[in-house]
Amino acid sequence: MSPPEEPAYTRPIPDPDTITAGPFWQGASEGRLMLPRCLQCSRAHFYPRTICPHCHSRELEWFEASGEGTVHTFAVQQRGLGGWNDETPFATAFIDLREGVRMMTVLRGVDASDPASIEIGAPVRVEFERAAEGVFVAFWRVVGPGPAGGGQGEATGC
Amino acid sequence: MLMPHPLRRGAAIVGSGESDEIGFIEGKSSLELHAEAVSNAVEDAGVRWEEIDGIFATGGSGRFPAAALAEYLGIRPRYMDSTQMGGSSFLFFVHHALAAIAGGEIEVAVISHGECGFSGPRRGGRGTGGAHQFDPWDPGELYERLYGAWGAPAFYAHAMNRYMHRFGATREDFARIAVVTREWATLNPRAVMHSKQTHPYGGPIDVETVLGSRMIAWPLSLLDCCLVTDHGAAVVLTTPERARSLRHRPVWIEGAGEALSHMNMSQMEDFTATSARDSAARAYSMAGMGPGEMEMAMIYDSFTYTAAVTAEMLGLTPRGEGASLWAGDDARPGGRFPVNTNGGGLSFSHSGMYGMMLLVEAQRQLARSAVGLPGRQVEARSAVVNGTGGSLSTTATLVLTAD
Ligand SMILES: [Zn+2]
Repeated sequence: MSPPEEPAYTRPIPDPDTITAGPFWQGASEGRLMLPRCLQCSRAHFYPRTICPHCHSRELEWFEASGEGTVHTFAVQQRGLGGWNDETPFATAFIDLREGVRMMTVLRGVDASDPASIEIGAPVRVEFERAAEGVFVAFWRVVGPGPAGGGQGEATGC
Repeated sequence: MLMPHPLRRGAAIVGSGESDEIGFIEGKSSLELHAEAVSNAVEDAGVRWEEIDGIFATGGSGRFPAAALAEYLGIRPRYMDSTQMGGSSFLFFVHHALAAIAGGEIEVAVISHGECGFSGPRRGGRGTGGAHQFDPWDPGELYERLYGAWGAPAFYAHAMNRYMHRFGATREDFARIAVVTREWATLNPRAVMHSKQTHPYGGPIDVETVLGSRMIAWPLSLLDCCLVTDHGAAVVLTTPERARSLRHRPVWIEGAGEALSHMNMSQMEDFTATSARDSAARAYSMAGMGPGEMEMAMIYDSFTYTAAVTAEMLGLTPRGEGASLWAGDDARPGGRFPVNTNGGGLSFSHSGMYGMMLLVEAQRQLARSAVGLPGRQVEARSAVVNGTGGSLSTTATLVLTAD
Protein backbone atom coordinates (compact mmCIF):
# COMPACT_ATOMS: atom_id res chain seq x y z
CA MET A 1 0.00 0.00 0.00
CA SER A 2 3.07 2.20 -0.08
CA PRO A 3 2.87 4.85 -2.79
CA PRO A 4 5.22 4.52 -5.76
CA GLU A 5 8.60 6.17 -5.34
CA GLU A 6 9.36 9.60 -6.69
CA PRO A 7 9.36 9.07 -10.49
CA ALA A 8 7.05 11.79 -11.71
CA TYR A 9 3.37 10.95 -11.92
CA THR A 10 2.81 11.56 -15.63
CA ARG A 11 -0.81 10.47 -15.71
CA PRO A 12 -3.64 12.98 -15.50
CA ILE A 13 -3.60 14.69 -12.12
CA PRO A 14 -6.92 15.45 -10.45
CA ASP A 15 -7.58 18.98 -9.30
CA PRO A 16 -10.05 18.13 -6.57
CA ASP A 17 -13.24 20.04 -6.06
CA THR A 18 -12.96 20.58 -2.30
CA ILE A 19 -16.42 22.06 -1.85
CA THR A 20 -18.32 19.00 -3.09
CA ALA A 21 -15.74 16.32 -2.48
CA GLY A 22 -13.28 17.64 0.09
CA PRO A 23 -13.60 14.72 2.51
CA PHE A 24 -13.14 12.20 -0.32
CA TRP A 25 -9.82 13.70 -1.39
CA GLN A 26 -8.73 14.44 2.18
CA GLY A 27 -9.50 10.81 3.09
CA ALA A 28 -7.53 9.58 0.08
CA SER A 29 -4.47 11.47 1.28
CA GLU A 30 -4.83 9.67 4.63
CA GLY A 31 -5.37 6.22 3.08
CA ARG A 32 -9.09 6.16 3.89
CA LEU A 33 -11.96 5.76 1.40
CA MET A 34 -14.65 8.27 2.30
CA LEU A 35 -18.11 8.15 0.71
CA PRO A 36 -21.11 10.47 0.89
CA ARG A 37 -24.35 9.10 2.35
CA CYS A 38 -27.85 10.55 2.54
CA LEU A 39 -29.34 11.32 5.96
CA GLN A 40 -32.86 10.92 4.57
CA CYS A 41 -32.70 7.61 2.70
CA SER A 42 -29.42 6.28 4.16
CA ARG A 43 -28.07 5.31 0.74
CA ALA A 44 -24.49 6.02 -0.31
CA HIS A 45 -23.62 7.50 -3.69
CA PHE A 46 -20.52 8.06 -5.81
CA TYR A 47 -19.28 10.30 -7.42
CA PRO A 48 -19.79 12.89 -4.69
CA ARG A 49 -22.64 15.34 -5.21
CA THR A 50 -24.38 18.08 -3.25
CA ILE A 51 -27.75 16.34 -3.65
CA CYS A 52 -28.74 12.70 -3.11
CA PRO A 53 -29.37 11.11 -6.54
CA HIS A 54 -31.74 8.56 -4.94
CA CYS A 55 -34.20 10.78 -3.00
CA HIS A 56 -32.90 14.27 -3.90
CA SER A 57 -32.34 15.33 -0.30
CA ARG A 58 -29.51 17.77 0.36
CA GLU A 59 -28.85 16.43 3.86
CA LEU A 60 -25.71 14.38 3.40
CA GLU A 61 -22.89 13.04 5.57
CA TRP A 62 -19.52 11.39 4.99
CA PHE A 63 -18.48 7.97 6.30
CA GLU A 64 -15.47 5.73 5.95
CA ALA A 65 -16.17 2.86 3.56
CA SER A 66 -14.94 -0.72 3.95
CA GLY A 67 -12.56 -0.40 1.02
CA GLU A 68 -13.79 -3.77 -0.25
CA GLY A 69 -15.57 -4.67 -3.46
CA THR A 70 -15.67 -6.91 -6.51
CA VAL A 71 -14.84 -6.45 -10.19
CA HIS A 72 -18.10 -5.70 -12.04
CA THR A 73 -16.41 -5.67 -15.42
CA PHE A 74 -13.09 -4.69 -16.98
CA ALA A 75 -11.43 -3.82 -20.28
CA VAL A 76 -7.81 -3.85 -21.40
CA GLN A 77 -6.64 -0.57 -22.86
CA GLN A 78 -4.09 -0.52 -25.67
CA ARG A 79 -3.85 3.28 -25.64
CA GLY A 80 -4.32 5.73 -22.82
CA LEU A 81 -4.83 9.34 -21.96
CA GLY A 82 -1.71 11.35 -21.13
CA GLY A 83 0.93 9.39 -19.26
CA TRP A 84 -1.24 6.31 -19.22
CA ASN A 85 -0.21 5.83 -22.83
CA ASP A 86 3.21 4.75 -21.54
CA GLU A 87 1.68 2.00 -19.40
CA THR A 88 -0.28 0.04 -22.00
CA PRO A 89 -1.68 -2.48 -21.80
CA PHE A 90 -3.49 -1.64 -18.58
CA ALA A 91 -6.79 -2.97 -17.27
CA THR A 92 -9.52 -0.49 -16.39
CA ALA A 93 -12.50 -1.73 -14.41
CA PHE A 94 -15.71 -0.77 -12.73
CA ILE A 95 -15.83 -1.89 -9.10
CA ASP A 96 -18.97 -2.78 -7.15
CA LEU A 97 -18.27 -1.52 -3.63
CA ARG A 98 -19.72 -3.31 -0.61
CA GLU A 99 -21.57 -0.06 0.09
CA GLY A 100 -23.60 -0.40 -3.13
CA VAL A 101 -21.87 2.19 -5.30
CA ARG A 102 -19.69 1.75 -8.36
CA MET A 103 -16.26 3.30 -9.03
CA MET A 104 -13.94 3.22 -12.01
CA THR A 105 -10.29 2.27 -11.52
CA VAL A 106 -7.18 0.87 -13.08
CA LEU A 107 -6.90 -2.64 -11.67
CA ARG A 108 -3.79 -3.40 -9.65
CA GLY A 109 -2.51 -6.94 -9.13
CA VAL A 110 -3.49 -8.29 -12.57
CA ASP A 111 -1.68 -9.24 -15.78
CA ALA A 112 -3.30 -6.94 -18.33
CA SER A 113 -1.50 -8.65 -21.20
CA ASP A 114 -3.67 -11.72 -20.53
CA PRO A 115 -7.35 -10.66 -20.31
CA ALA A 116 -8.45 -14.27 -19.79
CA SER A 117 -6.57 -14.29 -16.49
CA ILE A 118 -8.67 -11.44 -15.06
CA GLU A 119 -11.93 -12.44 -13.44
CA ILE A 120 -15.22 -10.60 -13.25
CA GLY A 121 -16.42 -11.00 -9.66
CA ALA A 122 -12.91 -11.14 -8.20
CA PRO A 123 -12.57 -9.46 -4.77
CA VAL A 124 -10.67 -6.18 -4.68
CA ARG A 125 -9.38 -3.82 -2.01
CA VAL A 126 -8.74 -0.10 -2.30
CA GLU A 127 -5.31 1.53 -2.13
CA PHE A 128 -4.04 5.02 -2.84
CA GLU A 129 -1.25 6.32 -5.06
CA ARG A 130 0.35 9.73 -4.75
CA ALA A 131 -0.26 11.90 -7.83
CA ALA A 132 1.02 15.27 -6.59
CA GLU A 133 1.70 17.10 -3.34
CA GLY A 134 -1.25 16.22 -1.09
CA VAL A 135 -3.19 14.56 -3.92
CA PHE A 136 -3.77 10.80 -3.84
CA VAL A 137 -5.77 8.70 -6.29
CA ALA A 138 -7.79 5.61 -5.34
CA PHE A 139 -6.92 2.34 -7.08
CA TRP A 140 -8.37 -1.14 -6.55
CA ARG A 141 -6.20 -4.28 -6.25
CA VAL A 142 -7.39 -7.81 -6.93
CA VAL A 143 -6.84 -9.73 -3.69
CA GLY A 144 -8.26 -13.16 -4.49
CA PRO A 145 -9.80 -15.48 -7.06
CA GLY A 146 -13.22 -14.84 -8.59
CA PRO A 147 -16.35 -16.82 -7.79
CA ALA A 148 -16.18 -20.60 -8.36
CA GLY A 149 -16.99 -21.54 -11.92
CA GLY A 150 -14.86 -18.76 -13.28
CA GLY A 151 -17.53 -16.55 -14.72
CA GLN A 152 -21.14 -17.54 -15.15
CA GLY A 153 -23.74 -17.08 -12.51
CA GLU A 154 -22.37 -14.93 -9.76
CA ALA A 155 -25.06 -13.54 -7.54
CA THR A 156 -24.87 -9.88 -8.43
CA GLY A 157 -27.46 -9.95 -11.23
CA CYS A 158 -26.86 -7.79 -14.25
CA MET B 1 -61.31 2.28 -29.27
CA LEU B 2 -57.82 3.50 -28.47
CA MET B 3 -57.22 7.10 -29.56
CA PRO B 4 -54.17 7.52 -31.82
CA HIS B 5 -51.31 9.52 -30.35
CA PRO B 6 -51.69 13.20 -31.32
CA LEU B 7 -48.16 13.33 -32.77
CA ARG B 8 -48.44 10.16 -34.84
CA ARG B 9 -47.88 10.98 -38.55
CA GLY B 10 -47.84 14.65 -37.56
CA ALA B 11 -44.88 15.28 -39.87
CA ALA B 12 -42.92 13.58 -42.63
CA ILE B 13 -39.31 13.47 -43.76
CA VAL B 14 -39.32 14.72 -47.33
CA GLY B 15 -35.68 14.90 -48.36
CA SER B 16 -32.09 14.41 -47.31
CA GLY B 17 -28.58 15.30 -48.31
CA GLU B 18 -24.94 14.81 -47.43
CA SER B 19 -21.89 16.98 -47.76
CA ASP B 20 -20.46 16.85 -51.30
CA GLU B 21 -17.72 14.54 -50.07
CA ILE B 22 -17.66 12.29 -47.03
CA GLY B 23 -14.81 10.39 -45.44
CA PHE B 24 -11.43 12.02 -44.96
CA ILE B 25 -11.75 15.63 -46.08
CA GLU B 26 -8.84 17.89 -45.30
CA GLY B 27 -9.55 21.59 -45.38
CA LYS B 28 -13.27 21.84 -44.74
CA SER B 29 -14.79 23.14 -41.53
CA SER B 30 -17.76 21.54 -39.83
CA LEU B 31 -19.85 24.55 -40.88
CA GLU B 32 -18.92 23.97 -44.51
CA LEU B 33 -20.00 20.33 -44.17
CA HIS B 34 -23.29 21.47 -42.58
CA ALA B 35 -23.91 24.00 -45.35
CA GLU B 36 -23.26 21.56 -48.19
CA ALA B 37 -25.57 19.02 -46.57
CA VAL B 38 -28.39 21.50 -46.00
CA SER B 39 -28.07 22.84 -49.54
CA ASN B 40 -28.25 19.31 -50.96
CA ALA B 41 -31.15 18.33 -48.68
CA VAL B 42 -33.20 21.43 -49.54
CA GLU B 43 -32.71 20.69 -53.22
CA ASP B 44 -33.55 17.00 -52.73
CA ALA B 45 -36.75 17.88 -50.88
CA GLY B 46 -37.78 20.56 -53.32
CA VAL B 47 -38.64 23.13 -50.65
CA ARG B 48 -37.80 26.84 -50.89
CA TRP B 49 -35.21 28.37 -48.56
CA GLU B 50 -37.70 30.98 -47.35
CA GLU B 51 -40.01 28.21 -46.15
CA ILE B 52 -37.52 26.98 -43.57
CA ASP B 53 -38.80 28.20 -40.23
CA GLY B 54 -37.17 25.68 -37.88
CA ILE B 55 -33.51 24.73 -37.55
CA PHE B 56 -32.16 21.89 -35.47
CA ALA B 57 -28.39 21.48 -35.54
CA THR B 58 -25.40 20.21 -33.64
CA GLY B 59 -21.88 19.06 -34.42
CA GLY B 60 -18.72 21.12 -34.03
CA SER B 61 -20.08 24.49 -35.03
CA GLY B 62 -19.21 26.54 -32.00
CA ARG B 63 -21.05 26.97 -28.78
CA PHE B 64 -24.45 27.64 -30.34
CA PRO B 65 -24.61 25.26 -33.31
CA ALA B 66 -28.11 26.15 -34.54
CA ALA B 67 -27.37 29.87 -34.34
CA ALA B 68 -24.00 29.47 -36.04
CA LEU B 69 -25.55 27.47 -38.86
CA ALA B 70 -28.54 29.78 -39.36
CA GLU B 71 -26.20 32.75 -39.58
CA TYR B 72 -23.86 30.95 -41.99
CA LEU B 73 -26.76 29.96 -44.25
CA GLY B 74 -28.34 33.41 -44.04
CA ILE B 75 -31.66 32.28 -42.63
CA ARG B 76 -33.59 33.58 -39.63
CA PRO B 77 -35.79 30.71 -38.42
CA ARG B 78 -38.45 31.13 -35.72
CA TYR B 79 -37.70 27.85 -33.98
CA MET B 80 -34.16 26.82 -32.97
CA ASP B 81 -32.70 23.82 -31.19
CA SER B 82 -29.05 22.91 -30.46
CA THR B 83 -29.74 19.88 -28.27
CA GLN B 84 -26.57 17.91 -27.55
CA MET B 85 -27.15 14.29 -26.54
CA GLY B 86 -24.18 12.79 -28.35
CA GLY B 87 -24.60 10.74 -31.51
CA SER B 88 -28.30 10.22 -30.91
CA SER B 89 -28.99 13.99 -30.97
CA PHE B 90 -30.38 13.97 -34.51
CA LEU B 91 -33.08 11.47 -33.60
CA PHE B 92 -33.96 13.59 -30.58
CA PHE B 93 -34.29 16.47 -33.05
CA VAL B 94 -36.85 14.49 -35.06
CA HIS B 95 -38.95 14.05 -31.93
CA HIS B 96 -38.66 17.78 -31.17
CA ALA B 97 -39.36 18.85 -34.76
CA LEU B 98 -42.34 16.50 -34.93
CA ALA B 99 -43.86 18.19 -31.90
CA ALA B 100 -43.14 21.65 -33.29
CA ILE B 101 -44.66 20.85 -36.69
CA ALA B 102 -47.66 18.94 -35.35
CA GLY B 103 -48.20 21.72 -32.82
CA GLY B 104 -48.41 24.28 -35.60
CA GLU B 105 -45.32 26.24 -34.56
CA ILE B 106 -43.44 25.63 -37.80
CA GLU B 107 -43.99 24.12 -41.24
CA VAL B 108 -40.56 23.25 -42.57
CA ALA B 109 -37.75 22.02 -40.34
CA VAL B 110 -34.16 21.37 -41.29
CA ILE B 111 -32.10 19.03 -39.09
CA SER B 112 -28.38 19.27 -39.77
CA HIS B 113 -25.08 17.73 -38.79
CA GLY B 114 -21.50 18.61 -39.73
CA GLU B 115 -18.46 17.23 -37.98
CA CYS B 116 -14.75 16.94 -38.73
CA GLY B 117 -14.29 13.80 -36.69
CA PHE B 118 -11.16 12.81 -38.62
CA SER B 119 -9.62 16.12 -39.65
CA GLY B 120 -10.57 18.20 -36.63
CA PRO B 121 -8.21 16.63 -34.08
CA ARG B 122 -5.38 16.64 -36.65
CA ARG B 123 -5.84 20.37 -37.07
CA GLY B 124 -5.62 20.77 -33.30
CA GLY B 125 -9.27 21.61 -32.86
CA ARG B 126 -9.98 19.02 -30.25
CA GLY B 127 -7.19 17.43 -28.25
CA THR B 128 -6.95 14.52 -25.89
CA GLY B 129 -3.59 12.81 -25.49
CA GLY B 130 -1.72 15.57 -23.71
CA ALA B 131 -4.22 16.48 -21.03
CA HIS B 132 -2.65 16.23 -17.57
CA GLN B 133 -4.82 18.53 -15.51
CA PHE B 134 -8.40 17.48 -15.07
CA ASP B 135 -11.43 19.73 -14.85
CA PRO B 136 -12.52 19.47 -11.22
CA TRP B 137 -16.07 20.41 -12.13
CA ASP B 138 -16.64 17.53 -14.52
CA PRO B 139 -17.32 14.24 -12.69
CA GLY B 140 -16.64 12.25 -15.84
CA GLU B 141 -13.14 13.65 -16.03
CA LEU B 142 -12.35 13.63 -12.35
CA TYR B 143 -13.61 10.13 -11.51
CA GLU B 144 -13.41 8.20 -14.81
CA ARG B 145 -11.09 9.60 -17.48
CA LEU B 146 -8.61 10.14 -14.65
CA TYR B 147 -7.88 6.43 -15.10
CA GLY B 148 -6.66 6.85 -18.66
CA ALA B 149 -9.71 5.66 -20.57
CA TRP B 150 -9.36 7.34 -23.94
CA GLY B 151 -12.30 7.72 -26.26
CA ALA B 152 -15.49 5.77 -26.68
CA PRO B 153 -13.99 2.27 -27.20
CA ALA B 154 -12.26 2.47 -23.83
CA PHE B 155 -15.65 2.67 -22.13
CA TYR B 156 -17.84 0.50 -24.40
CA ALA B 157 -15.40 -2.41 -24.01
CA HIS B 158 -16.43 -2.73 -20.35
CA ALA B 159 -20.07 -3.18 -21.31
CA MET B 160 -19.26 -5.74 -24.00
CA ASN B 161 -17.17 -7.77 -21.55
CA ARG B 162 -19.93 -7.76 -18.96
CA TYR B 163 -22.43 -8.85 -21.61
CA MET B 164 -20.15 -11.68 -22.78
CA HIS B 165 -19.73 -12.77 -19.17
CA ARG B 166 -23.45 -12.71 -18.45
CA PHE B 167 -24.81 -14.28 -21.63
CA GLY B 168 -21.88 -16.34 -22.89
CA ALA B 169 -21.65 -14.40 -26.16
CA THR B 170 -18.29 -14.58 -27.92
CA ARG B 171 -16.14 -12.16 -29.90
CA GLU B 172 -17.03 -14.27 -32.97
CA ASP B 173 -20.73 -13.50 -32.48
CA PHE B 174 -20.01 -9.77 -32.58
CA ALA B 175 -17.48 -10.04 -35.42
CA ARG B 176 -20.24 -11.40 -37.65
CA ILE B 177 -22.03 -8.04 -37.33
CA ALA B 178 -19.02 -6.26 -38.81
CA VAL B 179 -18.88 -8.79 -41.67
CA VAL B 180 -22.55 -8.40 -42.62
CA THR B 181 -22.41 -4.62 -42.32
CA ARG B 182 -19.37 -4.56 -44.63
CA GLU B 183 -21.40 -6.53 -47.19
CA TRP B 184 -23.86 -3.65 -47.32
CA ALA B 185 -20.99 -1.21 -47.77
CA THR B 186 -19.86 -3.08 -50.88
CA LEU B 187 -23.21 -2.11 -52.47
CA ASN B 188 -22.84 1.57 -51.56
CA PRO B 189 -20.22 3.45 -53.61
CA ARG B 190 -20.33 6.32 -51.08
CA ALA B 191 -19.25 4.02 -48.26
CA VAL B 192 -15.69 4.62 -47.07
CA MET B 193 -15.07 0.86 -46.96
CA HIS B 194 -16.91 0.11 -50.22
CA SER B 195 -13.93 -1.43 -52.02
CA LYS B 196 -10.15 -1.39 -52.40
CA GLN B 197 -10.70 1.67 -54.62
CA THR B 198 -12.28 3.66 -51.80
CA HIS B 199 -9.96 2.47 -49.01
CA PRO B 200 -6.88 0.21 -48.86
CA TYR B 201 -8.71 -2.05 -46.41
CA GLY B 202 -12.13 -1.73 -48.09
CA GLY B 203 -14.19 -4.52 -49.63
CA PRO B 204 -15.48 -7.77 -48.14
CA ILE B 205 -14.11 -9.10 -44.84
CA ASP B 206 -14.58 -12.31 -42.87
CA VAL B 207 -14.85 -13.13 -39.17
CA GLU B 208 -11.17 -14.04 -38.95
CA THR B 209 -10.20 -10.62 -40.30
CA VAL B 210 -12.24 -8.94 -37.58
CA LEU B 211 -10.87 -11.15 -34.80
CA GLY B 212 -7.32 -10.67 -36.05
CA SER B 213 -7.49 -6.91 -36.38
CA ARG B 214 -5.50 -4.78 -33.96
CA MET B 215 -6.85 -4.74 -30.42
CA ILE B 216 -8.10 -1.28 -29.37
CA ALA B 217 -9.66 -1.98 -25.97
CA TRP B 218 -10.15 -5.68 -25.27
CA PRO B 219 -12.60 -7.18 -26.17
CA LEU B 220 -13.05 -4.56 -28.93
CA SER B 221 -10.71 -4.90 -31.87
CA LEU B 222 -10.31 -2.33 -34.65
CA LEU B 223 -12.98 -3.84 -36.90
CA ASP B 224 -15.49 -3.98 -34.01
CA CYS B 225 -15.18 -0.18 -33.95
CA CYS B 226 -16.75 2.43 -36.18
CA LEU B 227 -14.82 4.56 -38.62
CA VAL B 228 -13.70 8.07 -37.71
CA THR B 229 -14.55 10.41 -40.57
CA ASP B 230 -15.57 13.89 -41.68
CA HIS B 231 -19.24 14.09 -42.59
CA GLY B 232 -22.13 16.45 -43.07
CA ALA B 233 -25.76 15.39 -43.46
CA ALA B 234 -29.22 16.94 -43.24
CA VAL B 235 -32.90 16.08 -43.57
CA VAL B 236 -36.00 18.18 -44.21
CA LEU B 237 -39.29 17.63 -42.35
CA THR B 238 -42.65 19.21 -43.01
CA THR B 239 -46.40 18.94 -42.45
CA PRO B 240 -48.39 16.05 -43.96
CA GLU B 241 -50.14 18.44 -46.37
CA ARG B 242 -46.92 20.02 -47.66
CA ALA B 243 -45.24 16.59 -47.77
CA ARG B 244 -47.83 15.27 -50.22
CA SER B 245 -47.09 18.13 -52.62
CA LEU B 246 -43.34 17.44 -52.83
CA ARG B 247 -41.34 15.20 -55.15
CA HIS B 248 -40.45 12.33 -52.77
CA ARG B 249 -42.76 9.74 -51.32
CA PRO B 250 -43.26 11.08 -47.75
CA VAL B 251 -41.57 9.13 -44.97
CA TRP B 252 -44.06 9.27 -42.12
CA ILE B 253 -42.98 9.69 -38.54
CA GLU B 254 -45.26 7.15 -36.92
CA GLY B 255 -43.55 7.18 -33.58
CA ALA B 256 -40.70 8.86 -31.71
CA GLY B 257 -39.32 8.40 -28.23
CA GLU B 258 -36.30 9.41 -26.20
CA ALA B 259 -34.69 8.12 -22.99
CA LEU B 260 -31.49 8.09 -20.98
CA SER B 261 -30.03 5.84 -18.32
CA HIS B 262 -26.95 7.82 -17.26
CA MET B 263 -24.27 10.19 -18.51
CA ASN B 264 -21.07 8.75 -17.03
CA MET B 265 -20.53 5.03 -17.24
CA SER B 266 -20.00 4.50 -13.51
CA GLN B 267 -23.65 5.51 -13.14
CA MET B 268 -24.89 2.89 -15.63
CA GLU B 269 -26.93 0.40 -13.66
CA ASP B 270 -27.04 -2.45 -16.17
CA PHE B 271 -24.07 -2.66 -18.54
CA THR B 272 -25.94 -5.23 -20.65
CA ALA B 273 -28.93 -3.05 -21.50
CA THR B 274 -29.59 0.47 -22.79
CA SER B 275 -32.38 2.99 -22.47
CA ALA B 276 -33.40 2.06 -26.03
CA ARG B 277 -35.79 -0.29 -24.28
CA ASP B 278 -37.65 2.80 -23.04
CA SER B 279 -37.26 5.02 -26.10
CA ALA B 280 -38.42 2.13 -28.31
CA ALA B 281 -41.43 1.44 -26.09
CA ARG B 282 -42.38 5.12 -26.40
CA ALA B 283 -41.91 5.14 -30.17
CA TYR B 284 -43.81 1.88 -30.74
CA SER B 285 -46.59 3.09 -28.47
CA MET B 286 -46.97 6.36 -30.39
CA ALA B 287 -46.95 4.44 -33.66
CA GLY B 288 -49.40 1.82 -32.47
CA MET B 289 -46.98 -0.69 -33.98
CA GLY B 290 -44.54 -3.24 -32.61
CA PRO B 291 -41.19 -4.75 -33.59
CA GLY B 292 -42.95 -7.55 -35.48
CA GLU B 293 -44.30 -4.99 -37.94
CA MET B 294 -40.90 -3.51 -38.77
CA GLU B 295 -39.44 -4.48 -42.15
CA MET B 296 -35.93 -3.08 -41.73
CA ALA B 297 -33.78 -1.49 -39.04
CA MET B 298 -31.18 1.24 -38.86
CA ILE B 299 -29.28 0.63 -35.63
CA TYR B 300 -26.46 2.79 -34.28
CA ASP B 301 -23.32 0.69 -34.66
CA SER B 302 -20.60 2.73 -33.04
CA PHE B 303 -19.35 -0.73 -32.06
CA THR B 304 -20.54 -4.22 -32.91
CA TYR B 305 -21.63 -4.46 -29.29
CA THR B 306 -23.79 -1.34 -29.53
CA ALA B 307 -25.68 -2.82 -32.46
CA ALA B 308 -26.19 -6.19 -30.74
CA VAL B 309 -27.48 -4.90 -27.41
CA THR B 310 -29.68 -2.35 -29.19
CA ALA B 311 -31.27 -5.05 -31.37
CA GLU B 312 -32.46 -6.64 -28.15
CA MET B 313 -33.70 -3.39 -26.71
CA LEU B 314 -35.73 -2.74 -29.88
CA GLY B 315 -37.44 -6.11 -29.44
CA LEU B 316 -35.87 -7.59 -32.58
CA THR B 317 -34.23 -10.55 -30.79
CA PRO B 318 -34.65 -12.34 -27.46
CA ARG B 319 -32.63 -11.08 -24.49
CA GLY B 320 -28.99 -12.11 -24.57
CA GLU B 321 -29.15 -12.95 -28.28
CA GLY B 322 -28.73 -9.55 -29.95
CA ALA B 323 -25.99 -10.70 -32.30
CA SER B 324 -28.28 -13.44 -33.61
CA LEU B 325 -29.98 -10.81 -35.76
CA TRP B 326 -26.88 -10.97 -37.99
CA ALA B 327 -26.20 -14.71 -37.63
CA GLY B 328 -28.21 -15.97 -40.61
CA ASP B 329 -29.06 -14.30 -43.89
CA ASP B 330 -31.93 -12.05 -42.74
CA ALA B 331 -29.92 -8.89 -42.08
CA ARG B 332 -27.71 -9.30 -45.18
CA PRO B 333 -28.26 -7.84 -48.64
CA GLY B 334 -31.18 -9.73 -50.14
CA GLY B 335 -32.33 -10.87 -46.70
CA ARG B 336 -35.79 -10.68 -45.17
CA PHE B 337 -34.90 -8.01 -42.60
CA PRO B 338 -32.25 -5.60 -43.91
CA VAL B 339 -30.16 -3.89 -41.22
CA ASN B 340 -27.82 -0.93 -41.62
CA THR B 341 -28.14 -0.84 -45.37
CA ASN B 342 -25.73 2.07 -45.91
CA GLY B 343 -22.82 0.05 -44.52
CA GLY B 344 -23.25 1.37 -40.98
CA GLY B 345 -20.96 3.39 -38.80
CA LEU B 346 -18.69 0.39 -39.07
CA SER B 347 -18.11 0.64 -42.84
CA PHE B 348 -19.99 3.60 -44.35
CA SER B 349 -18.99 6.67 -42.34
CA HIS B 350 -18.99 7.79 -38.70
CA SER B 351 -17.82 11.23 -37.75
CA GLY B 352 -18.25 10.79 -34.00
CA MET B 353 -21.96 11.48 -33.95
CA TYR B 354 -23.54 9.01 -36.35
CA GLY B 355 -27.27 9.48 -35.77
CA MET B 356 -27.91 11.69 -38.79
CA MET B 357 -26.54 9.06 -41.15
CA LEU B 358 -29.11 6.55 -39.84
CA LEU B 359 -31.83 9.05 -40.57
CA VAL B 360 -30.65 9.90 -44.08
CA GLU B 361 -30.42 6.22 -44.98
CA ALA B 362 -33.85 5.37 -43.56
CA GLN B 363 -35.40 8.23 -45.54
CA ARG B 364 -33.70 7.11 -48.75
CA GLN B 365 -34.69 3.48 -48.35
CA LEU B 366 -38.34 4.22 -47.57
CA ALA B 367 -38.59 6.91 -50.26
CA ARG B 368 -36.97 4.48 -52.73
CA SER B 369 -34.18 6.91 -53.57
CA ALA B 370 -31.18 4.82 -52.44
CA VAL B 371 -28.48 4.90 -55.10
CA GLY B 372 -25.85 2.23 -55.59
CA LEU B 373 -25.23 -1.29 -56.80
CA PRO B 374 -28.12 -3.72 -57.41
CA GLY B 375 -29.56 -4.90 -54.11
CA ARG B 376 -28.81 -1.71 -52.22
CA GLN B 377 -32.38 -0.41 -52.50
CA VAL B 378 -34.59 -2.60 -50.31
CA GLU B 379 -38.35 -3.15 -50.44
CA ALA B 380 -39.19 -2.30 -46.81
CA ARG B 381 -42.09 0.02 -46.08
CA SER B 382 -41.42 0.39 -42.37
CA ALA B 383 -38.25 0.94 -40.37
CA VAL B 384 -37.19 1.20 -36.77
CA VAL B 385 -34.30 3.62 -36.30
CA ASN B 386 -32.37 3.99 -33.05
CA GLY B 387 -29.54 6.27 -32.07
CA THR B 388 -27.27 5.89 -29.06
CA GLY B 389 -25.18 8.71 -27.59
CA GLY B 390 -22.43 9.07 -25.02
CA SER B 391 -21.28 5.92 -23.22
CA LEU B 392 -24.45 3.94 -24.06
CA SER B 393 -26.09 6.88 -22.27
CA THR B 394 -28.85 8.47 -24.34
CA THR B 395 -31.14 6.89 -26.91
CA ALA B 396 -33.84 8.02 -29.29
CA THR B 397 -35.98 5.69 -31.39
CA LEU B 398 -38.14 6.38 -34.44
CA VAL B 399 -40.74 4.31 -36.23
CA LEU B 400 -40.94 5.39 -39.88
CA THR B 401 -43.16 4.20 -42.72
CA ALA B 402 -43.88 4.92 -46.36
CA ASP B 403 -47.26 4.35 -48.02
ZN1 LIG C 1 -31.38 10.12 -0.27
